[in-house]
Amino acid sequence: MNLIEIYIQEVTRRLPEKSRTDIALELQSTIEDMLPDDYNEEDIKDVLGKLGNPAALAAGYRDQPMHLIGPRYFDVYVSLLKMILPIAAAISLISIAAEFFLDFNHDETLLNAMLDFIGYGIWKLIEVSVQVFFWLTVVFAVIERVDKDKEQHPLSPSLKPWTPDDLKSITYIPKKKAISKCEIFGSLMWTAIWATLYFYADQLMGIYRGGGEGLEFKIPAVNQDILLGYWPVVVVIIALEVGLALYKLIIGQWTKRMAIFNTVLELFATIVFIFILMNPNLLQQEFIAYMTDLFSISAAQFKNWLLGGIMITFIIYAVISIFDGIRKSRITS
Amino acid sequence: MSTLLNSLTTELRRGTLTLAVLSQLRTPQYGYSLVQLLEDSGINIDQSTLYPLLRRLEKQELVTSSWDHTESRPRKYYVLSELGMETFLQLREEWIKNSKQLYGLLKGDEEDEFN
Repeated sequence: MNLIEIYIQEVTRRLPEKSRTDIALELQSTIEDMLPDDYNEEDIKDVLGKLGNPAALAAGYRDQPMHLIGPRYFDVYVSLLKMILPIAAAISLISIAAEFFLDFNHDETLLNAMLDFIGYGIWKLIEVSVQVFFWLTVVFAVIERVDKDKEQHPLSPSLKPWTPDDLKSITYIPKKKAISKCEIFGSLMWTAIWATLYFYADQLMGIYRGGGEGLEFKIPAVNQDILLGYWPVVVVIIALEVGLALYKLIIGQWTKRMAIFNTVLELFATIVFIFILMNPNLLQQEFIAYMTDLFSISAAQFKNWLLGGIMITFIIYAVISIFDGIRKSRITS
Repeated sequence: MSTLLNSLTTELRRGTLTLAVLSQLRTPQYGYSLVQLLEDSGINIDQSTLYPLLRRLEKQELVTSSWDHTESRPRKYYVLSELGMETFLQLREEWIKNSKQLYGLLKGDEEDEFN
């Protein structure tokens, strides 16, 4: 007798309160039906064995699915996850970078600060990913349970059954014209890096010397006041670069308009930076003196060599970027 | 039997279970009497799926249920509702049609094998 009661309890405790009594009564009556008139414990075990694992029986009684996210929502869930995770990761990385450089103090060596940043960055990335994953999963698990529609077909973006007409609203993107998420992420990262270098040039660019405690920042290379004099135009370039990256993200492939935007931006940025580099007071006198000593060349030679090198790098990079954009936008397939 | 074959067989049977149960509920039955009826016709049914199935059919309004307290122990009787009867007849048509088609298909295979 006792075994039967425990069995029934094991089934009903997994069920909603309101259906427990009725199911318990029915089970009780069924089990007694199955038993012979004169039964012993072996008979009871035999009957309960036929009814099977109480968890499985309870699952049969329950309407709720035994999975978190079923076939109807799984596809939407995975695509959303793929879309949101990189965006969340990028935003958190950029905000960490901004926070980090705002707090940067002169006493700390750059190397140590960098290591701190990497460690903290990885930790934050994991945290953000776990958060995104958790909340998205919770939301979908709830939707799965609230939706009483027994429809099992994957949900289409229009929330209606799929028809071939749905294909018309999707742009076909040839592989060669496609812009990968990595590329967009990379260009945003590059913008963040050079922007930081620009605004904190006097703390980051210059002569480092190995000291007792890692690297020590000795002589700044540039005159920060002169450099910051150009800030409005630099901010415009940053805004345009971020805008281009977002535009690429939305469109997903190279177009003629995008190639024009890219060309104008590259030309504009290159001209502005060459203009800044041409400023005769840009480099710190102390830095020039140190370098001319080191390489035993004249100040003019050093300036030409350094600034010329930077300018050529800039121009080569811009030309490659412009031609790459135009080439990809011209591909027709 | 291999696990794969086992799961395929279960899958094949799963759909027919509802039909088998509906067919026997034209007269009121309680859980265990239904099991015995089905077993007498050679249909071996997993009892842990049968009892939940009865409640599901009730929820879908294909069967109605009532408790009977007149006998030695209370029993819950299930019987087809009007909707259940209609559905059963349609399902039966469908099943007979399908099994004829499938039989024709399998029969064809067999003949090919012997030729």
